Amino acid sequence: MNALSSPHYVRYDNSRENEYVAAMRQLISKDLSEPYSIYVYRYFLYQWGDLCFLAMDDKNEMVGVVVSKLEPHRDGPLRGYIAMLAVREEYRGQGIATKLVRMAIDAMIERDADEIVLETEITNTGAMKLYERLGFLRSKQLHRYYLNGNSAYRLVLYLKEGVGAVRTGLDPYGPIPTGLPEACGHSHANMGSLM
Amino acid sequence: MLPNNEVRVPRPRIGQPAVPRDITAEFTEAASKLNTGQLVKDETFTLFEAVGALEIMDSKMDSGYIAPGENLEEALEDNYDVRQPLAPEQIVGLMDQLLCHEVAWHKGHPLSQTLFTSIYLDRLLWPVPKTIEDARFDRVPSESPLVGLVLRAYCLALVKACDIVHARVATEYYYEEEDFVSHLYNRNLLSAFDMSHFHRLLDQATAWLAEQTDIDQKLKDAIRCRLAFRHQFLSALDQDLQVLETRSTVNFESCLSELVPLKESVPLGKPMPEAFSLKIQRKLASTVPPRPMVNLSSEDALAHLERLCKDAIDMQQMLDYTGPSNFKTAVWTLLSRKPQPSIYIRCLLQALIVSNFNILGTVPVKDFLYGELAELVLPASLLLEANIDEVEVPSDPRFQIAQKMDGFLKRFSQPFVDTVRCACLNRCRLRRTLCHTIVDWDNLQMEAEELDLELRVLSAEPPLQFPGGEPTWSFPLSSWAYHQKLVQFRLILQMGFELSIYSPEELPGMYWYLSHICSTHLGHIDRIRTFTVAARKRDLMAAGSRPGNSAQKASAFHRSFHALERLTTHIIAVDAFAIALHALYVVLARHKILPTASSAQAYSTDRLRYEIRMKPFIPITLPELVPYDEYQREAALEGDSDATILERASKAVAEARKAWEANLANGAFIEDPSGTKSTSPKAIKEDWNRDAKDTMRACIGTSLTIETVKKALAASTDGKPLNLEVTVPEVGTKARWHDWWVVPQVSEKKSKA
Repeated sequence: MNALSSPHYVRYDNSRENEYVAAMRQLISKDLSEPYSIYVYRYFLYQWGDLCFLAMDDKNEMVGVVVSKLEPHRDGPLRGYIAMLAVREEYRGQGIATKLVRMAIDAMIERDADEIVLETEITNTGAMKLYERLGFLRSKQLHRYYLNGNSAYRLVLYLKEGVGAVRTGLDPYGPIPTGLPEACGHSHANMGSLM
Repeated sequence: MLPNNEVRVPRPRIGQPAVPRDITAEFTEAASKLNTGQLVKDETFTLFEAVGALEIMDSKMDSGYIAPGENLEEALEDNYDVRQPLAPEQIVGLMDQLLCHEVAWHKGHPLSQTLFTSIYLDRLLWPVPKTIEDARFDRVPSESPLVGLVLRAYCLALVKACDIVHARVATEYYYEEEDFVSHLYNRNLLSAFDMSHFHRLLDQATAWLAEQTDIDQKLKDAIRCRLAFRHQFLSALDQDLQVLETRSTVNFESCLSELVPLKESVPLGKPMPEAFSLKIQRKLASTVPPRPMVNLSSEDALAHLERLCKDAIDMQQMLDYTGPSNFKTAVWTLLSRKPQPSIYIRCLLQALIVSNFNILGTVPVKDFLYGELAELVLPASLLLEANIDEVEVPSDPRFQIAQKMDGFLKRFSQPFVDTVRCACLNRCRLRRTLCHTIVDWDNLQMEAEELDLELRVLSAEPPLQFPGGEPTWSFPLSSWAYHQKLVQFRLILQMGFELSIYSPEELPGMYWYLSHICSTHLGHIDRIRTFTVAARKRDLMAAGSRPGNSAQKASAFHRSFHALERLTTHIIAVDAFAIALHALYVVLARHKILPTASSAQAYSTDRLRYEIRMKPFIPITLPELVPYDEYQREAALEGDSDATILERASKAVAEARKAWEANLANGAFIEDPSGTKSTSPKAIKEDWNRDAKDTMRACIGTSLTIETVKKALAASTDGKPLNLEVTVPEVGTKARWHDWWVVPQVSEKKSKA
């Protein structure tokens, strides 16, 4: 096996969308049964391109990527969200993913983030270990969260004290707060939790 | 990773009714001014919608996309002749494939990836048949009776079974896409057709089959048991809520017995992959991208069906109401089975637990709630009897008490019933729901306290003097609400173990918290008991002057003391075990042999992680959140030596074993002293006993681990690290005797050879 050179890291640049997004999609779609639409990428990159980091090899080919966002959560804490993380298979095990996530977290801290959250597939022990090493905790399990029927863990990292006590507004996508409807009537929640 | 399966259903937007006009030119003009990648989005465009968006003309996302050069006809239609005669082994194979798809749908996969990939079902259901005769594979029926009669009857009965399941699940509380996908893609599951048609067709098919002499006997038997299964399964599901009256398990039992030969004859079938096609997805009215067919093995499918039937049979054992705590125990035990009962069973149970304000179809919710109050805080109390008196003088305290209690009933019935019903949710949702309801109960407790203050005056409750001299009253309703909250608190913690939420380094702290909640709870029960004892004394003194229904009262008090005693034994058992594991983990953590998930380079601190973990409890006023510094001190057992801690662990685990034995001896249910119970919930009792025994196994495992650590400590010379290796057994592995009790496995470190 020939040794792979260690990559260099760059911040995403919106002016190079044509070049970057195609490579990014290819990298990320590889592990997905169903690709994200272009709108998902644009949703993140156009608003939070500076929270997206890339790992490039010596031929300037993309070998790793992290995509994230940062905004107030339900009028509460400033919440970072790591949406996607991928490293090309032959480059795994070198700490590239950890480095990318660290860059994203550092950028969020610079922008005064209160907390960072993400979801990871229950079977993805690699990802779970990575985030837990960085101090994330599992806060809940999400039943059959992914298309393949696998469940997920929500992982949370607080960056400041007192975040847990901040009251948030009503989450339009969250579960009905009281859990169950009236005993006499019937309804059902038909939306998964996304953020 | 971001999920990719958001429900792709546009949410209705509220606005003025719009008059359509052509904006193509304006749009093109505006779009030409944008750079590639520039995002124009209105405030209401969320990530949710971005994930739900589809890219048209991309074959991976656009299920209607026909590639250049692709023949339209071929792209949409399969070249499969549904009229062709099939061999008996092909019929068996097809039936089994369909059954696998049916179960995959039960398990939460959409019809488009399961049953609706079947060309036969597609033909049967589209165009929507108007009569049962119309529901066939082709306008010209197949000349082969095996297809036109046998397979058709099988398919029709299967669809009808799905119709019943769909109807039941869709009317109950479930999570779309998590538990079940209710989408029918504009098809109808023959809901309009009477059940008798399906049984008649199955009968005809069975009769025809019996007359055949040219079919191999084994195959004939295989087809026969499959038809018989459909018969029984349909009848079983058709019972639905009527099971409350029929109390019949016959059909589900027959399903189980038909599943035996069915399972054995699976190898006889010849699968027909060509009779299933993903092309059908292109025709289903849907906004989802093309998705792969779900392949469930026969083994898994039959195991699931078997469990479904068993759960349905055992469920009947809880239909006789024998008091609030027995009812709650039965529901909880049944729904805690692993694997969890299927969504159909969970939905059926929801409806049985409560509908039209009746528990199990017969017991008014009020009786359930008052029964619970009488059992725990208000035996033979005026508060619960006031409205039976029919006192109509508004100035009479009894009248006012009755009014207050009516208000209480209105406010508390729903949340109380929900504490039972929520067990029907999937386990992840159950824990999440508890994290919400515990906050509700915190508020409910405060409301109950207000009522208690008013009722105390109306009932002229005499205070008790506590050692300090301050007068204290019983506060029965808020005491009861606090008890509910403490139960939920404990459950949230324990389900955290079950769902593998905690990292290894949190285990000492989480078991400390569990024991902290248990001791709080025990103190609370003691307080309740003190007031019940006082009430009983008052009652006996009064009885001297006012003889009456004293036997009835005595038995009410007896029941209450008994219930409190059982509760105490149970919580002591949990508490003692939690203390033991806490102590053991503290020593392992001290010696740095407990694995840790986080590293020295972590961004967070223990303090911040504690805050995340306590988030659900931060808004709770009582019990107060333990401040981090205090938690840190207590949970780390600062100041105690290893030997002291391990000694405490040994004592606690011995006590835990005794308490669990006592628990087991108490049994799952409070036996009816009158002995008039109709059916003994044997299967549910067995589950409950197994659970207690697994916990005792975990206790024994813990004692052994404690001994190993003690020995290693004794053998270690000063300063040297313990020569031990610790693994934390995962849920579902053999070494994890019980989901709620994480017993560390400790072994001598093998020398590096």
